Amino acid sequence: MSAPRSSSGYWMGFAIVLALLAAAPLVLPEFWRRFVTEILIWGLLAMSSDILIGYTGMISFGHSAFFGLGMYGAAAALLTVRPPNLWLALLYGLIGAGVIAAFVAYFATRLRDIYFAITTLVFSQIFYVIIFTWTEVTGGENGLTFRQPPFSVPAVLSVPFTPVTLHWFVLAVVALSYLLLRRITQSPFGMVLQSIRENEPRTRAIGYHVERYKIVAVMLSGLFAGLAGVLYAVQNKFAAPDFVFFLISGEVVIFNVMGGMGTLVGPVAGAAFFLLLREVFSRFFTEYYLIPVGVIFTLMVVFMPQGLLGFLRRRLNQ
Amino acid sequence: MAEQLLIQLLIGLSSGMILALVASGLTLIFGIMDVVNFAHGELFMLGAYMGTTVLVTTGSFWLALLGASVAIALLGAALQITTLRPLVGRDPLTTILATFGISLVLQNYALWQYGPVARKIQEPITSQFQFFHIQFPWYRIVIAILSAAIIGALWLFLKYGKYGIWIRATTQDRIMASAMGIPVPLVHTAVFAIGSAMAAASGVLFGPLVGVNHAMGLDWILKAFIVVVVGGMGNLGGSILASLFVSLLEAFASLWVSPAQAVIVSFVVLILTLLFRPTGLFVPTPK
Amino acid sequence: MLTVEAIHTYYGKSHILHGVSLEVRPGEVVGLLGRNGVGKSTTLKTIMGLIHPTEGRIVFEGQPIARTAPHRLARLGIGYVPEDRRIFRLLTVMENLRTGLDRRGVTEERRNILLDKVYQSFPVLAERRYQAGGTLSGGEQQMLAIARAMMLEPKIILLDEPTEGLMPKMVAQIREIIGLLHRESVAILLVEQNVPLTLEVSDRIYIMEKGVVRHHAAAAALRSDDSVIHQYLGV
Repeated sequence: MSAPRSSSGYWMGFAIVLALLAAAPLVLPEFWRRFVTEILIWGLLAMSSDILIGYTGMISFGHSAFFGLGMYGAAAALLTVRPPNLWLALLYGLIGAGVIAAFVAYFATRLRDIYFAITTLVFSQIFYVIIFTWTEVTGGENGLTFRQPPFSVPAVLSVPFTPVTLHWFVLAVVALSYLLLRRITQSPFGMVLQSIRENEPRTRAIGYHVERYKIVAVMLSGLFAGLAGVLYAVQNKFAAPDFVFFLISGEVVIFNVMGGMGTLVGPVAGAAFFLLLREVFSRFFTEYYLIPVGVIFTLMVVFMPQGLLGFLRRRLNQ
Repeated sequence: MAEQLLIQLLIGLSSGMILALVASGLTLIFGIMDVVNFAHGELFMLGAYMGTTVLVTTGSFWLALLGASVAIALLGAALQITTLRPLVGRDPLTTILATFGISLVLQNYALWQYGPVARKIQEPITSQFQFFHIQFPWYRIVIAILSAAIIGALWLFLKYGKYGIWIRATTQDRIMASAMGIPVPLVHTAVFAIGSAMAAASGVLFGPLVGVNHAMGLDWILKAFIVVVVGGMGNLGGSILASLFVSLLEAFASLWVSPAQAVIVSFVVLILTLLFRPTGLFVPTPK
Repeated sequence: MLTVEAIHTYYGKSHILHGVSLEVRPGEVVGLLGRNGVGKSTTLKTIMGLIHPTEGRIVFEGQPIARTAPHRLARLGIGYVPEDRRIFRLLTVMENLRTGLDRRGVTEERRNILLDKVYQSFPVLAERRYQAGGTLSGGEQQMLAIARAMMLEPKIILLDEPTEGLMPKMVAQIREIIGLLHRESVAILLVEQNVPLTLEVSDRIYIMEKGVVRHHAAAAALRSDDSVIHQYLGV
């Protein structure tokens, strides 16, 4: 959003955070190492939806579809092609999410506001029902399990992942995605998206082809969400219908609101905050942790619409 | 085959009337305050649970229906005052987010309070009648009639009641309504309470058919969203017709596919509507 | 009765009123003139509580009302007839009137008196009482808007460009209605583009320019000397 105070200061901060995240698995115990890797993956998913929610002003309640299709796409590659190949899993996952995103994007051009929110929700449920009931192909309720592909560079090396190298791989993908998304949102294209958010009719009146911009925004968002799905599948070695279910989409929206919509970094922070809250509250409230989390979320919608990041920024500027 | 179709017709009509009851509340709330109430399904679910509680204590289904409606109306009013009133004047999308937050809390509260095992509401009327080769429960007919009666009462109230005119005036022009002395914030709260009561009543009526569980809200909110969009947002008559239409289609579809897949029929109806008549199937001209 | 003291009003970030002050005494017709976009309608909206002023005071019968909700102001006795009439289009004429009648403390008898009165003043509304407000012609909608405000038995009516876009015959009728209200001692704050009409029906005139009141005079004085009107309004 607003330009950092100085470009060098921004890159310094970025490098420090990157270094900390890279060093994290070396010092953290097993449980927290996994935790940080997961935050990165969910953070990527959150960033992907921020393109729509924060930048274009379209609330997607169906991001689980892209994420889930990314997982199932990866599963398809890992189960059908021998030996399992990481890059092929990535490709299949992106194709899976991309096809769905194209489908949703087609409708997105015609829909605004609540209609978009409701339709994305309905679409994701369609895919959920299909995946849940088409047992022969998708494994139905049980999902699919597979072996983790090794990290490979064709004709050069192929080494199995350790938790630490997997973390680094995920970190690299997420960091690159972040830089790419940041570049996109700051480009003229990103400016048009924000202008659509602020005032769609005016953007149209100026002469921008709003529909095309929305299609591209949904495609981008879907592809990055699919990428997150692939990473999650590789980390956990399974694909399950639960991850296509609405709950995931809901969590993505929560990440955005908690962290601060339209900031890219905010939703990642939101994901971290949410996962931490879940961790803490599950100890007291067991599986009912969503009661306090839901209360906090609702309060934030009402009283802290800028999210954590916006709140902190305003505090710091005071 | 014709017999099967007639049986499904009855089933579709009775489910359709319950859906119409849920959707009427949703569309009423949307029409007057531009709030898409994501927690509507949860109010349906909590209404059903509240019904089980009252039923256990009093033994009367009808008291359960009444008690649950009143309790959920109060809950709805409280939620509207605490969460939605502060959002007046903000982007309508924030109301989806806020009500989504409420739905999370309510759903998990129900899980915590009532546990994961589905509860049964005993239907007040257990007799059946011979309908072709099957015994058809009278209760399904009763549901359809009761739902229609509640919707009819709402319609009469909106048409002729003093507060009904307030509600319609506020729906059409909030600002002018307030300039005419109508206490708009109070009207909003009241409408939210009425919508909540209708959701709760549907929950209690539907409970005996499937059993009550904490996750049932999502299915209903999805269906209600679909019929409200198909019927035209904020159009009461449209959402009632759409409820019947979608439920009948689902009932007929379940002759050939499993019930889980029959749900897709309504999704397809939604998609086709959005493609060809985005303002809703039953809206003659956009206003 | 109504005193507006140095109010500042914003629409979002644009500063519309820069300290408007005016006064309306009981039973008086006060005209508010000025070119388009000088803040006349905004002044009425601010008085009606539809926008809250950031600075300044509004006092109605000794009570400060700058932060009061519009529905309370309506009950205190302020009627509002907006520029675009804002008829409840899907409500019938009768129902439109009922929005102002269904108040606490209005007896059945009183209702009938009020209804009879408007039906007498506006026979066309009586004819169309079961017709939807949106189907009325522009002039009829204007009558309905005024009649609707009268249902509140207001002590003052804020009248925003009642003759805009009306045929001469309708304009004459509006003039009569203003006269009728005046005889019944209802105060009126009238915003108009129609200068001759305003000068004719008003007791006093305020002239606005760029968000402030520039001139204030008795209507009679302006009627006999049109240089001021010429200076501010160019007519």
